[in-house]
Amino acid sequence: MRSWLGPILLFILIMVSYPLTIEFLEQDLEKGFYSLLWISILLSMMFSTEDIFLEDYNDGSLEQIIISSTSFPFMVAKKILIYWLMIGIPISILSFLFSLGITQNLSISLFLFPMALISSYIFLNLFVFGTALSLNKGSVLGALITMPLALPVLIVLGKSIIAIQFGINYLEFLLLLLGCLSIIITVVPFIVSYVIKTHLE
Amino acid sequence: MNIKSLVEADNIAYKINGNKLFHNISFSVKKGEALHISGPNGSGKSTLIRIILGITKQIKGSIYHSKSIDISYLGHKNALKNYLSVSDNLMLQGLSNDNELNNLLVLLGLKKFLDVTVANLSYGQQKKLALLRIFLNKSNLIVLDEPFVGLDSDAQDIVEKFLINEINLGKALVYTSHIKSNIDSKILNLK
Repeated sequence: MRSWLGPILLFILIMVSYPLTIEFLEQDLEKGFYSLLWISILLSMMFSTEDIFLEDYNDGSLEQIIISSTSFPFMVAKKILIYWLMIGIPISILSFLFSLGITQNLSISLFLFPMALISSYIFLNLFVFGTALSLNKGSVLGALITMPLALPVLIVLGKSIIAIQFGINYLEFLLLLLGCLSIIITVVPFIVSYVIKTHLE
Repeated sequence: MNIKSLVEADNIAYKINGNKLFHNISFSVKKGEALHISGPNGSGKSTLIRIILGITKQIKGSIYHSKSIDISYLGHKNALKNYLSVSDNLMLQGLSNDNELNNLLVLLGLKKFLDVTVANLSYGQQKKLALLRIFLNKSNLIVLDEPFVGLDSDAQDIVEKFLINEINLGKALVYTSHIKSNIDSKILNLK
């Protein structure tokens, strides 16, 4: 419950705090909102993966999964997908709603929704990789290792908003993110399962 | 590898921080056989179990698994979710609510604790709950690391009888134990 509700509440907290803690006029709120939105998604995903494997590692469930005949990378991919369905999708829907509420711009908010869906899945995969690397060594190390990998995605997200605002190339940014996602969701489960097996050794 | 063997180890060795834990260990476990790995604390019994399971890699030698091998394992960690109830844990482990499970729950004295969270059970009760997974397994190799620790004499009897019966049915057993048991086993002593 904590690992499900915690990241969503963190996201809501940042979104609600934004208009309360800034001195912009109502029509200027849009200026810094999108950057904050992407950073909030990034932080929420980081927070959600903090103990994704720790409990299973501590109680011996990971060992049981590894010796079972089920494919371990497949189990990892399934776990990431469930986290995305439970946390990534609600946060993406909230992103749309907060974007609409704060910027009152329906078209940008609609464009933003698929970007939020894809980016949350990408961030989730990246932070799962970081968490696996720092399993039983604290999540800070993992976050530090993963952060440089997340920066290019943040840059693409930032540029995509400019593209939407100027009405250019939006689809290309979306396809670029989809391309990144397809590579990441294929590779990360294998790397993560290898890293976890190394930890268990 | 002998075709009747489920697991065969050939001159395996393991080191921790450069210190030899064990070396030149060879054994085989066939269907209907039990192997008791014994030795003092720190002699590498649990490590050898993990090598057999394929979780830890030996530094020397080879370990062969039969293609038909299907392992059920209970180690020091019992793979239970402390914050869930006994019945939720059973469901999570895919143990169906059939007669066999109900009989075992009654036999092990767990039936009245179905709605109790695992964190509120004693260590022995948690161990019995974890052993249910082994009792209801369909595998052909059972691997247990100190299965009798935390069990009262009645529960130990039940576990022993179950394991002897499984061996008679043609399953293989590999276990470590400091507690004497009546299981007729080959002994591998790690010094």
